[in-house]
Amino acid sequence: MFPKATRLLAAATLLSTALLSGVPVQPTVVSAAEPQNSAEDKPAKVKEGTSLFRANCSPCHGLSARGGGRGPDLTSGHWTHGSTDAAIFRTISQGIPGTEMPANGFENSEIWAIIAYLRSLAPPKRVVVSGDPLSGKKIFFGSAACSNCHMVKGSGGLLGPDLSRVAASRSVSYLIDSIRSPDKELSTGMLDPNNHYGLPLVYDTVTVVTASGKRITGVARNEDTFSIQLLTTDQNLQFFLKKDVKDVIHERKSLMPRYSEDALSASQLQDLIAYLETLRGER
Amino acid sequence: MRKILFLVLLLTGSAESQSQVTYERLLHADREPQNWLTYSGRYSGWRYSTLNQISTSNASHLLIQWAFQVGDLGQFETTPIVVDGVLYGTGQNDRAFALDARTGRAIWRYQRTLPEKLQPCCGMVNRGFAILKDRLFMATLDAHVIALDTTTGNLVWDVISADHHKAYTFTVAPLAVKNEVIIGTSGGEYGVRGFIDAYDATTGARLWRFDTVPGPGQRGHETWAGDSWKTGGAPAWITGTYDPDLNLIYWPTGNPSPSNYGGGRGGDNLYSNCMLALDADTGKLRWYFQFTPHDVYDYDATQVPILLDADWEGRPRKLLIQANRNGFLYVLDRTDGKFLFAKPFGNVTWARGIDRDGKPILNTSLRVSPEGTRVCPGALGLTNWFSPSYSPETHLLYIATSTECDVFTSSPQTYRAGHDFLGSVYVPDPAERPTGSLKAIDVRTGSEKWSFPYFSSPNGGALSTAGDVVFAGDSDGNFIVLDANTGRHLWHVQLGAAIYSTAIAFEVDGKQYVVIPAGSALFAFALP
Repeated sequence: MFPKATRLLAAATLLSTALLSGVPVQPTVVSAAEPQNSAEDKPAKVKEGTSLFRANCSPCHGLSARGGGRGPDLTSGHWTHGSTDAAIFRTISQGIPGTEMPANGFENSEIWAIIAYLRSLAPPKRVVVSGDPLSGKKIFFGSAACSNCHMVKGSGGLLGPDLSRVAASRSVSYLIDSIRSPDKELSTGMLDPNNHYGLPLVYDTVTVVTASGKRITGVARNEDTFSIQLLTTDQNLQFFLKKDVKDVIHERKSLMPRYSEDALSASQLQDLIAYLETLRGER
Repeated sequence: MRKILFLVLLLTGSAESQSQVTYERLLHADREPQNWLTYSGRYSGWRYSTLNQISTSNASHLLIQWAFQVGDLGQFETTPIVVDGVLYGTGQNDRAFALDARTGRAIWRYQRTLPEKLQPCCGMVNRGFAILKDRLFMATLDAHVIALDTTTGNLVWDVISADHHKAYTFTVAPLAVKNEVIIGTSGGEYGVRGFIDAYDATTGARLWRFDTVPGPGQRGHETWAGDSWKTGGAPAWITGTYDPDLNLIYWPTGNPSPSNYGGGRGGDNLYSNCMLALDADTGKLRWYFQFTPHDVYDYDATQVPILLDADWEGRPRKLLIQANRNGFLYVLDRTDGKFLFAKPFGNVTWARGIDRDGKPILNTSLRVSPEGTRVCPGALGLTNWFSPSYSPETHLLYIATSTECDVFTSSPQTYRAGHDFLGSVYVPDPAERPTGSLKAIDVRTGSEKWSFPYFSSPNGGALSTAGDVVFAGDSDGNFIVLDANTGRHLWHVQLGAAIYSTAIAFEVDGKQYVVIPAGSALFAFALP
């Protein structure tokens, strides 16, 4: 009976934008009276948790919990706000103040089912990162010019995502894909087709063709039926009324350049990944 | 002295009766274009106003007249009622209010005390009042039906209709017919057993109930496998329409439960996703037409049915037209429910077409699977609950539509009372960002005359008027006026938050107003 995608509101269960927030983790004691997952009922709990996760969490965290347009990968093994069952329980039930991860109205047994599901997910293959983070940092801010577009701890460009906490939200394999094949998994902006959240469609590559035929490309910081607000590749904000331009083209490709082995050798990639793996939001 | 007193009483009595909204006035709401007396403006469901002060030639001069803040959060889905200069509306969390329609100043406010745990699937919303005599009727989130006094907002009666602990909730705007108040339940995502009720407007006593999922011994029960009828859904959460000559209420129903998994409920699952024609006095079923039998895509038929008398294939007929969430525009004969015509009004893949009996020809390659199956339209439909509008001037039906296709991934569930009961997950196809449009469809042919593109999928419908304009709202907060004949953009204003309802028009002191909810405020516009 969904009148609209309001379920996606409940689905705004950003388990780990929360996990990324850097909010100090409070010690949590789970009462012995609270139901916890026992070995006997595990299959049933996992099944229930799968269903609950898909219905409520997947729009942000992805159908397989590997991260979505808004929520981090929950299979990475990184749990910024605590990796114990009790800590995850608290994150789901109470949310993380100051982040997009809201408190949720699940019953306790449902939260335990979700935890059972998350625990059932195959742990990621441990990717050995053999590079040198210091060399990687030099590559990031130097030869690869990543910092032209990406910011880390206040230094760098504006066009791409801020990577100050990227290791806490994305797996190594995701980072490698993003560097070698940036169009492989495009950000479609928010998974928010009905704009319930009113959030900007960040990283959606758009080209505006002006009345004089000039093509201006950037990422759309916002857009509606009548206007578009663009952060252009020269990192300036430009606003357009659609009635004044010839065309607005959604490119369906990333503005991130593809770093082939010619541009970034295998060893340089290892160094770069080693540096990115140090970025967990710690101050 | 006695004569004077008698005269005063006579005049007072006369004034009171004039201010009351009698059934006669509702029957002839089209004769009072200065007012907006029912959810769809009149019993025929047109959402059309004969006011023409605002027209194609001057709509670009519209100015805001007032804004009213509800003072609550969440989707604001009301369609206000306007009677003789007073506007009555409902808000989030079962708030309600009466305003001076000329200034937006509140006369009274009402706030229902709600239980802590309620389970409306899609927000703590309410879609509006019905009015009859000096009472306003509201169906509440805790599954009560209440009557408020029009002058003070005081509670007159309050009856329990269903158990909210079992996830019954009401969001519908009631329909007042004769001395009845008709409502339908929500709860299709929680395995409720749906119903449509009629209450005595004077006392609140329940007059009849129509179970939208037939029980043992009732016709249609055989369309449910095993005990699946007990949790069969088929809610009825959008206001129906009424033909006084046939004495029939046309009320659409929603999805079977679980909404996206059919494994445990073999059969057509009557009367889910149906148009029901009910006798207004008894609630007896006169006929039904099921748009999407054994639905697994959440294609509620909860779209306002449009009643229209017109020539069809050379002879005059009483028609019922519905732009259905499943993507087809249907034309039925509303005297007997005979199927006359269907045509898709957008991208439809779940069915290859509609056969001569009105049954969908299923695309069997698109069964919902554990791996995920892409289906168009998505679960939210090619259109949805927000109102369409029919203009007798243009013969066009104005429908807000979405391009969203979803990937459905089955995930069977066990029913637990008061819990989600979906059986599947659907997410928009990540390959394409959904957009929308307002479409003008010729009801005589089903062909599209024009389409105005929206950047996002809409949540608001359309109002057409004799000024040859269409008022519409998009999900990005734009209130828009279009030329009803061509779709040409005439004017818009950014209201700062998504629009979740549909405009109405009324007139006070010779000035035409249009009112639209956006965010948590009601905005009124008029010419300078």
